[in-house]
Amino acid sequence: MSDLNLNEDQQDCLQEIINVAMGQASDQLARYLNTFVYLKVPSIEQVSTISLLNMLNSNENSAAVVSQGFFGYEGIRGEALLMYKPKDSDRLADLLGYEPDELSVEEQIIDLSSILTTTFLNVFAKQIDNQMSYSAPRLLAGSQSAISDHLAQQSFNWDLALKVKITYQVTDYSFNCDMVLFIPESAIINIKTVIDRILEEF
Amino acid sequence: MPADDFCTDIANKLNTGILIIDSQYNIVLWNRYLEVHANKKPENVIGQNIFEIFPELPEKWFKRKIESVFQLKTQSFCSWEQRHHLFELPHTRPMTTDSHFMAQNCSFLPLEIKDNNEHVCILIEDVTDVCHYQSKLKKTLEELAQANRIDGLTQVFNRKHWEECLEKEFSRARRYKHGLALIMFDLDHFKLLNDTYGHLGGDIVLIETAKVISKLLRLGDLFGRYGGEEFAIILPNTDMVGALDVAERIRVAISKNIINFQETEIKVTASVGVAVITEADTRYEDLISHTDLALYDAKASGRNIVCVAKDVTAA
Repeated sequence: MSDLNLNEDQQDCLQEIINVAMGQASDQLARYLNTFVYLKVPSIEQVSTISLLNMLNSNENSAAVVSQGFFGYEGIRGEALLMYKPKDSDRLADLLGYEPDELSVEEQIIDLSSILTTTFLNVFAKQIDNQMSYSAPRLLAGSQSAISDHLAQQSFNWDLALKVKITYQVTDYSFNCDMVLFIPESAIINIKTVIDRILEEF
Repeated sequence: MPADDFCTDIANKLNTGILIIDSQYNIVLWNRYLEVHANKKPENVIGQNIFEIFPELPEKWFKRKIESVFQLKTQSFCSWEQRHHLFELPHTRPMTTDSHFMAQNCSFLPLEIKDNNEHVCILIEDVTDVCHYQSKLKKTLEELAQANRIDGLTQVFNRKHWEECLEKEFSRARRYKHGLALIMFDLDHFKLLNDTYGHLGGDIVLIETAKVISKLLRLGDLFGRYGGEEFAIILPNTDMVGALDVAERIRVAISKNIINFQETEIKVTASVGVAVITEADTRYEDLISHTDLALYDAKASGRNIVCVAKDVTAA
């Protein structure tokens, strides 16, 4: 299992890449959304299947969870989960520049999730000389169903994942949400290879 | 170059609509799939504005969507689950689904070509089939969930669901210090009725009684079959005075209700027990057992009567 852990240098390097990506993503988002978007310093940690389930279940009262898969060269892949709290979905249409009657709340949430995820991961990918593709974003839980309905019956085919959590804050709209990136066990080794190469070049 | 030829050939053989627009929303590319499904030749479409070719597009929304692709240089999606379709196109199951237009998943991809002109590629996938079966599945799941809550004979809540409701109402009442009343009633001499008229007669009595009581109740009241000939009603936000009023109306309604069964008229009565939540009740089962005791008192006092649970704190 130890070869799945990031050593201190690797962890620092990943943290640095993410920080730079966050800065650029925040800038692009601010321009597109016409408001300042603040990204909070991420937490990077290893998580087990159990702790993921606990985390999602403790988020039972989230208004929504949106999942979007990402995949790039060199086996860099994973799943991004965007989590929203109930009160935060009120003014999304406004923030996105749509008229509220043009689209449903669900569509607003999915649209924003996709924008936040892909904007961040695009700049992240550029930092590591990669290029990401994405699956269509999918609403896992909303007002109609709880996230546990989607997970209860599942047996996961992984034990460990690398988890990166970034909190987005849009103060003008008193809105915030969490973006959690999960790199599954099988892809951790690939991201470590990339990090090691960057460390060597440095 | 053969590779390019292959790409063109594939683009025209894919079962996916491929449409490329420039930053002015003018159509630049249109593959065979779209030519066939929209029944428009490329020469009549290329160079035209997309909103002229597809006047059904929600223009403002669509422009903002495309803007995000241009500006953020990232792909965007539109799923049938949020919008059944963007483009009004026919689909491949017109005979065996009730979908008028093709249900679509659309992807919007930024294209960066050397000459610096920005374009967006729109991929249109026919998911009418998925949409059809998902909708059916959803309907079936709803029916299943409903069937899981309902007593098949009387069409009121079954015991399991009714108890789950009580558990929720009980904790809500305790948390917010609201009133909560419980009524349980049992049809008198039901066994005799079954012996006289047979089980079919007994069933009719249960069905008709449940119907009559359902009409008496308020919207928030929760009516269930507790077991056999015993029914129970949860009355949220209700005190003893209110509950007694409902209980008495139930008793009277049942005793006045004449049930026609095979040319004969069946008359029944019911014994009714009432209790309200008290400070001493820590579990919802406490409330049930108080109500049950009151019901037992009603049976012991000669039936066709309403009895109230004795105040345990005063005893």
